[in-house]
Amino acid sequence: MISFETGVQVHSVSVMTSDGGGHSTEQIVELAMDKIMSVSNTAPPAIRDQAEAFQNHLRDVLYHYMELARREERANIANKMSQAGNSEMAELVRRI
Amino acid sequence: MAIAQAMCTSFKKELLEGVHNFKNSGGGTFKLALYAEGSGGKSSTTATLGATTTAFTTTGEVASSGTYTTGGGSLTRVDPTTSGTTGFTDFADLSFTTATITAMGALIYNSSASNKAVAVLDFTSNKTSTSGTFTIQFPTANASSAIIRIA
Repeated sequence: MISFETGVQVHSVSVMTSDGGGHSTEQIVELAMDKIMSVSNTAPPAIRDQAEAFQNHLRDVLYHYMELARREERANIANKMSQAGNSEMAELVRRI
Repeated sequence: MAIAQAMCTSFKKELLEGVHNFKNSGGGTFKLALYAEGSGGKSSTTATLGATTTAFTTTGEVASSGTYTTGGGSLTRVDPTTSGTTGFTDFADLSFTTATITAMGALIYNSSASNKAVAVLDFTSNKTSTSGTFTIQFPTANASSAIIRIA
């Protein structure tokens, strides 16, 4: 007799929500970090410490450039609004 | 439990029948619909979803809000692949913006195959966005964590 044992499995998803606007930079960074790396609880302590240090550094770098990207995007939008004669709206966007 | 995480049993059979195609190019259209418990769905309905779910249902689905429209959002497929002896596939994260939603779970279904059910996702607690963004993040696509795996 020939038989095969296999399993079709589904994994859990994560849900992130925000109120009164889009996700914060911190939330987006966490979404990215979840995809980039995870540190096993069972890793040897020395390796785990190094991995966590790198993870924290990566989180800081991502946060910095994510903030920069959001600020530059707002500047671009504000500039376009200003050019179109909507200077008050442009100022509102600039102050977000 | 009204919403129980499961790979739908009918989906397992349909896999063997070649009903579903998850390839990035030429694959089916898979959607994700959000559901509420405790009469939180539109028209005060409550979702009952689990392994026995065979197709998309409007019962218990959350109402349209922001970019969420009833029937749910289309998922972006990622080509199935393998690692070791496990085959798996993935979807890109899905977000609904400017949405006021409270959902307890979701159903992935194939809208290009008579809305046949794929999997039920249980959020384990109510997740709420108020005039905000509701994001579903799929797990890392690997042999142990990918959203859909055949081990």
